[in-house]
Amino acid sequence: MTHCPECDAKVEQRDMVLGEVFPCPDCGTELEVFGTTPFAVQPAPREAEDWGE
Amino acid sequence: MSDGFRLGVFYTIVRPEEKWIFAAAESRGHEVVRVDDADVTFGLDGPAVAADVVVNRSVSHTRSLYAARCFAHDGTPTVNAPDVIELAGDKVLASLRLSERKIPTPKTVVALSPEAALKAIDRVGYPAVLKPAVGSWGRLMAKVSSPEEAEQIIEHKSALSSPVHSVFYVQEFVEKPDRDLRVFVVGSQAIAAMYRHSSDWRTNAARGATTEGAPLTPELRELALRAADAMGGGVLAVDLMESPNGLLVHEVNPTPEFKALTGATGADIAGAIVDYAVGVGRR
Repeated sequence: MTHCPECDAKVEQRDMVLGEVFPCPDCGTELEVFGTTPFAVQPAPREAEDWGE
Repeated sequence: MSDGFRLGVFYTIVRPEEKWIFAAAESRGHEVVRVDDADVTFGLDGPAVAADVVVNRSVSHTRSLYAARCFAHDGTPTVNAPDVIELAGDKVLASLRLSERKIPTPKTVVALSPEAALKAIDRVGYPAVLKPAVGSWGRLMAKVSSPEEAEQIIEHKSALSSPVHSVFYVQEFVEKPDRDLRVFVVGSQAIAAMYRHSSDWRTNAARGATTEGAPLTPELRELALRAADAMGGGVLAVDLMESPNGLLVHEVNPTPEFKALTGATGADIAGAIVDYAVGVGRR
């Protein structure tokens, strides 16, 4: 378990993998898993102009 | 137990697609080498990563292209190949190639200045669609229905700082049903197709379009395979519109998402990508 860097809500690890992006269950901020042991999250990278398929 | 084959996955963020690729590789006994596009460094004197092939899943066209060139320098093959990423990832270059291969595509005019952009729209006719040459998910696209609208959009685009916005890619607005088609091609196979429905004129799944499986008719299959081949082949999603005059290819995506397509069709796209990439790595 860790905390959302935006709203400090508790965030559970569940079966997330490194690099996975998910919304904070409380504030909806997109978070990215940057550590699994220990579990750590950071705000996900912002969409850039050249992003796409 | 690994079979010794190392499948690299070059990524920006891990979405369901990347998780499925990891799982498909591991279930086949391959070692997954994860390469974060924000973390890797490339020297001139040795491989950046120890992998037999790298599947490009970066969402950044710029990072994808430079990384693919660097991997090629290292002697590490990539899926897709650098030339394919360069061509398919740039709408101008892709349109030129589709035209050269006589693949039906919407009427397109390119202009390199705001003044010429107005002339380009006149050549295409109103309504027209302005798209960025690079980028997708329907962002920064504009449908213009009159010269007044065109002038405003062009002024706004000109104010954006990136030089890519001084390239004006103008396409005819195609009257079509409220849906388009996507065909997923892996190597020489068209493996699944879906409709993307939307009341918005942009039918990107990223913009909330709903999806359903579509029959892979011989015509659809043949056109999609030709379009993918025109880009150099590999793992490509070919987007088509049903115009009054028949199917038109409007985009070929070199780093395609496939969550919606997997959901709509049940096709094992991640498995097909892994098997294709392993074939490329073992050539």
